[in-house]
Amino acid sequence: MSASVAHTARYLRRSPPMQIALQVMLVIGFWLLGEALVRLLGIPLPGGIVGLAILLALFATRRLKARRLRRGAQWLLADMLLFFVPAVLAVLDHRELLGLTGLKILFVILFSTVSVMIATALTMEACQRWRAAHAPAPR
Amino acid sequence: MRPLLAEPLAGALLWSLVTIGFYWGAKRLHRRWPHWWLSPLMVTPLLIGGVVLALHAGYRDYIGGTRWLVLLLGPATVAFAIPIYEQRGLIRRHWPVLLIGMVVGSATSLLTSWGLATLVGLDGALRLSLLPRSISTPFAMEMSGDIGGLPDLTAVFVVITGIAGAAMGDLILARVPIASALARGALFGIGAHGAGTARAHQIGEVEGTVAGLVMVLVGLLNVLAAPLLVHLLR
Repeated sequence: MSASVAHTARYLRRSPPMQIALQVMLVIGFWLLGEALVRLLGIPLPGGIVGLAILLALFATRRLKARRLRRGAQWLLADMLLFFVPAVLAVLDHRELLGLTGLKILFVILFSTVSVMIATALTMEACQRWRAAHAPAPR
Repeated sequence: MRPLLAEPLAGALLWSLVTIGFYWGAKRLHRRWPHWWLSPLMVTPLLIGGVVLALHAGYRDYIGGTRWLVLLLGPATVAFAIPIYEQRGLIRRHWPVLLIGMVVGSATSLLTSWGLATLVGLDGALRLSLLPRSISTPFAMEMSGDIGGLPDLTAVFVVITGIAGAAMGDLILARVPIASALARGALFGIGAHGAGTARAHQIGEVEGTVAGLVMVLVGLLNVLAAPLLVHLLR
């Protein structure tokens, strides 16, 4: 009886959905840890960022392998869109956005985004050219 | 219908099922017809909004039942540690260029958002909510709250930026010749976060990797710089 329970438990732990669920729970655990630290110590950063920093430190010091969390992380990141869909519905409480204000906002977003894209790409392109020109000559 | 929906548990169940169901359907639809205007980012909120209005409910009823989904953005932020760590080789090789690009991109985003908003006569919380719209949602909502904006509204602006940016990135690359894959990726990652990163992955492997990486790093950079910005805005 207990042998079959252990067997089932081992089987479940190895099945992909179970693995993902466990990894996701572990990631949530690190988030809660981050939130707790932020509140206890009064750190002026979001708990998620602190959790992220803890994970990076554990990976860098080889106390934890990034591979052990990869599937859970991928699951959370792949469906991240779902997590902010509810927040987008806030438009319902802001009917003023449907009129002229909405058009103004659209104007700001479109022109600002084009500026960001062009400025970023041209700057980095120039940096890369400079680097290529000043790189040590190939043997 | 109304009394049943007023039950917190029934409401939470209904709105969560509606949200997850429509999201799942919209994703399948987009896989079948991959047009930018069929992006799940746009289709899902529209469909849910229709249901909310049809049931004579309000945003308050809806968000009360689905707040737990928004909370999962916290763990999603933590999950970014894995791609960052796995791309550490790329960071080590190119960190000066990546850093310069991120600083220039963020500064351009903040300055043009502020300037253009002022130009068309937007001010107060609305103008502040526009500032962090170029970064990934968990970071943007955090920063919006920090600087005195409305995080929910910022989420809306982030979505519009992502959809419009992913489409405009192609138009820009067709007119402005950019030879470096690093710069092409950063254009999408810094300009249009998640939606841009998805587009960059279709253009090339290096572009996609760089886009995903700078998207995370620029989000971090902005949240860390938020206290400084608050100081400047006073």
